[in-house]
Amino acid sequence: MAKKPGGKFQLNEKQLGYAMVAPALILILLVVIWPVLLSGWNSLFDYRLNDPSKSERIMTESLNLEEYADNRYLIEQNINELSEAYPEGEETFNETWAVVQEHHEELVADEGMASSYQEVNSMLNNYEPIQDDNLRIQSIDGSWGSEFEAAMGEQIEAVNSVQQQAEGDIAVEIGYLAAQLDNLQGSVLSSNFVGLQNYTDYLFNGRTWTALANTTFFTIVSVGAELIIGLGVALLINRAFKGRGIVRASVLVPWAIPTAVAAMMWSYLFDGQSGIVAHYMAAIGLISDPGTLLTTASGSMFSIIFADVWKTTPYMALLLLAGLQTIPNTQYEAAEVDGAGSIQKFFFVTLPLLKSAILVALLFRTLDAFRVFDLIYVLTGGGPANATESISVFAYKILFEQQNFGAGSALSVIVFVCVAIISFIFVKLLGSDLFPEKVKK
Amino acid sequence: MFKKQAGIRFYIFLVIFVFLVMFPFIWVFLTSLKPQDELTSFAWFTTNATLDSYASAITTRPLFRYMLNSFVVSGLTTILSLLIASFTAYAVTRLPIRGKTLILGLVLASSMFPPIAILSPIFNFVTDTGLRNSYIGLVIPYITISLPLAIWILATFFQKIPWELEESAKLDGATPFQTYRQIILPLATPGIFTTAILVFIAAWNEYLFALAINTADAWRTIPVGISFYQSEYTVPWGDISAATVIVTIPIVILVLIFQRRIVSGLTSGSVKE
Repeated sequence: MAKKPGGKFQLNEKQLGYAMVAPALILILLVVIWPVLLSGWNSLFDYRLNDPSKSERIMTESLNLEEYADNRYLIEQNINELSEAYPEGEETFNETWAVVQEHHEELVADEGMASSYQEVNSMLNNYEPIQDDNLRIQSIDGSWGSEFEAAMGEQIEAVNSVQQQAEGDIAVEIGYLAAQLDNLQGSVLSSNFVGLQNYTDYLFNGRTWTALANTTFFTIVSVGAELIIGLGVALLINRAFKGRGIVRASVLVPWAIPTAVAAMMWSYLFDGQSGIVAHYMAAIGLISDPGTLLTTASGSMFSIIFADVWKTTPYMALLLLAGLQTIPNTQYEAAEVDGAGSIQKFFFVTLPLLKSAILVALLFRTLDAFRVFDLIYVLTGGGPANATESISVFAYKILFEQQNFGAGSALSVIVFVCVAIISFIFVKLLGSDLFPEKVKK
Repeated sequence: MFKKQAGIRFYIFLVIFVFLVMFPFIWVFLTSLKPQDELTSFAWFTTNATLDSYASAITTRPLFRYMLNSFVVSGLTTILSLLIASFTAYAVTRLPIRGKTLILGLVLASSMFPPIAILSPIFNFVTDTGLRNSYIGLVIPYITISLPLAIWILATFFQKIPWELEESAKLDGATPFQTYRQIILPLATPGIFTTAILVFIAAWNEYLFALAINTADAWRTIPVGISFYQSEYTVPWGDISAATVIVTIPIVILVLIFQRRIVSGLTSGSVKE
């Protein structure tokens, strides 16, 4: 059926199938797989957004032509003006310019570099932004970079000593010249490729291990509590009763509200001064003082786990309830005939038949808990003293609060590897149960 | 199913359970009605109920703007990901293509990716393309969350549609795409709708990308906006509880109307029938 009578071209089933799958696969490759690979690549550099000399990923020593051309132009202008305005320094200024020129000629002796320089220079003259990184950042060979940096260092000192003798506005102007020379020197970008150093730094860093331990503790305790309470609730409400709708809705609301909003609510309820939950807990003697909940390490960890259990147990109970409802009644009747009590029925009928539902729920909950970010970031900010910092929160702080994208990427790759290991273990345990008949046929 | 009849003890348990689950909402709602000077009291009800906190919550911060932002971003994400996901789910469940397990495995794996692992490259991309503090800048990363979720749930629903109708459509000379559009899509509408609700909620609740990418106050979404009500020195609990009540109401309404669908969507992937 490749062609219809009308002559209109038609895809056959197979071609249509691949065409329909393609957009999703391309998107997943672009927005999931590619960024993960980029994170891995970024983690190999000392890459910092807040440090101009490290805000690019540079494999070999390079020159930022934009910076270079721009500052060279400014220095030339400035030296011409200063030589007239301050004759006492003329000799030094001329000497400085001669040194700049000498190195410049050496640089543009390379034809490729000369033409790139021309291009950048003319773009700068037209006030065009230079967006092409391949043009803007040129790698440089040999010893030019280090010689240039050393020579500029000497000239900056010479200019500085002239500045000390000058006074008033002239001194300020000379100060500008020194700053421009400094920028010119800074246009040489040394390689910030550090290999696996970010990993070794952070794998030998106590805070990484504290964060990993916090995350693991949080995951095991909260998912364990959610499973046990969720299973209990599911068993109890697996019967006919009036008001199922109300129960279902009330159970869904905590699941449906944003975690950040839930975290804000709990930070109020746990607050040492005005928190009702902290107040009641102290009143019945669970904690010594209402303030301990959010100011001590164990209190904060407890608070986070409590809030997570509140938010997610209902969801767990729903998943397990759905699993329970697929167990046929005849199984229980058969067990009763064999003389099984209700405890035996639970262990020998319910649990085995619920196994795959439990494992699927555990897989998704464990992964979710291990990636925990919003709850901790909003409720405790990782405090006090990093006692509740999860590995995602730690990575976020390094990435966006310290603007250290190299080290932050290394940490996010570590999170990724941990999640991959957890998924691998669960998928091994679950086997083909994870694909419920979807792909058969 | 071992269905016992529910006794009085059961209903007491049920009431306690529902009360415990709803307690934070009840307390936050009661707080939002209290005047400023009663905020630290532990009395349940105030005798001077006031809407001052609500007035303050919507004037100190652009709360309705946050809601609009969340609504637009989640809506765009839902439409886009459902469009693409319905194609994929149909092809994977109904069409004779190779590598179905591989495709579904990739989808499942990408739903397990920790968002922090892709955050910095996405941030760089969105910055370079000038999309920070815009709706599209958030829709792009939200695809990473919503697309795998949508494909996974939709595939379950498509699988349940009987084959007979499709076969007879084929016999009547319908092309595969016509079958998809005229037979499968109408039958799958309930499933698509359910998936849309779940994807919408997932996008509505996202925090990490919204925090890093849309940093200007006018472009914040609800979760981020709410978390910025507290300042370094004071925590305006009155404002926060009022804002929480305002943003929770749409979700409560959504849940009340669509609870059956939400439950069927949530459990569709985990239970074999």
